[in-house]
Amino acid sequence: MSIDPEKLMAFVDGELEEADRRAVERAIADDLSLRAEVERQRRLRATLGGHYGPVATQAVPDRLRALLGAEPNASIEHDKVASLAEQRERRRVLRGWHAISAVAASLVVGVVAGQLFLLGRTPPIATSNGRLVAQDGLADALETQLASAPPAMAQTRIGLTFMDTQGRPCRTFESRVFAGLACRGDGRWQVVMATATETAAQPIYRQAGSSPVMETAQRMMASEPFDAQAERAAVQGAWKIGKR
Amino acid sequence: MGPSVSSQKTIGHKTIGVCRLQAFERELLTLLPRLRRFARALTRDGTDADDLCQTALERALKARHQWLEGTRLDAWMYRIMRNCWIDEVRARTRRGQTFVPEEAGANVGVAAHEDIERRAELCDVDRAMERLPAEQREVIALVLVEGLAYREAAEILDIPIGTLTSRLTRGRQALVKLLEPA
Repeated sequence: MSIDPEKLMAFVDGELEEADRRAVERAIADDLSLRAEVERQRRLRATLGGHYGPVATQAVPDRLRALLGAEPNASIEHDKVASLAEQRERRRVLRGWHAISAVAASLVVGVVAGQLFLLGRTPPIATSNGRLVAQDGLADALETQLASAPPAMAQTRIGLTFMDTQGRPCRTFESRVFAGLACRGDGRWQVVMATATETAAQPIYRQAGSSPVMETAQRMMASEPFDAQAERAAVQGAWKIGKR
Repeated sequence: MGPSVSSQKTIGHKTIGVCRLQAFERELLTLLPRLRRFARALTRDGTDADDLCQTALERALKARHQWLEGTRLDAWMYRIMRNCWIDEVRARTRRGQTFVPEEAGANVGVAAHEDIERRAELCDVDRAMERLPAEQREVIALVLVEGLAYREAAEILDIPIGTLTSRLTRGRQALVKLLEPA
């Protein structure tokens, strides 16, 4: 079955009806080049989200606020206003399933890790010193995989790589079962969040750019996500970047 | 949600409380972060983006009676902003002020030198967006940056869904080529 480009984009944007979506999923499963195109388009969403997203969390210039009769930023509790706008923004994007999965995100880690454990494999996430840390294949992927050049049969794919406001390198990841975000500290990849993979858990999946993982990534980002060159340098330098 | 007490205090010689703002202004204030993001994607430039926001807000305040309460203010604002930007691009083109090759035609005029300098500072994403035709860029901005559904974006732009999806597809393919050269 051939999938025209419009339909593939609509799939990536979560705009397809159930039957069409399943048809595209089946086609993708058999076709490496289609799958690669889906990945490229998801990365594009993430890149655009990472680039423009921060604009919506910056303080609005006084000259614009003044037009609406509002006080200048400095005279009010700046943080409160910024975070209110941010929260509204999040609520807007996190509609429907997004909202549910965002709320459930903190709980899902245990469930997902548990499922994989039952499958008889080493769970990808373990607790260590009271922290959730990546291990096994997930840790390997976080440590060595390049989003710009993923291995053909990778179980886990890396999305964005960025520095967070604490100066830690962080990466988003996605496998067939779950997706999440981990940051490197104390020589390990600490899992900040994990959630069931959107295509599986969210029938009305809308956009990678505003998934709970991407939302969290955007809030944590200190600057633009790494480009391919910076990502390669970080992997080759064994993540000896940032503050530590 | 009521305004906090702390927002009502004296600034200089006048007192303005957020609670005195009318619902219309208050809602616009809430939308402002998103409007700035949309403006940034349309204009690819922080200063142009805030100028565009200002023009659009002024136009919206003047035309406030045309907004039907209960309908989506964000969609109304996106539409106004987009029209304002089209006007601005036309005006600059008339003045011969070049800023984007695609929108302004050939790179001639006194501002060309500054323009080149400015563009050197743009990052990859801005540069890639700049190279898209305007009608693809606005679709990308609404769907991929603002996260609107296809139907919502098509309504704002007054185009059929099929036109939207084909512009979106061409724009996406071009961006991927520019940002991830094979």
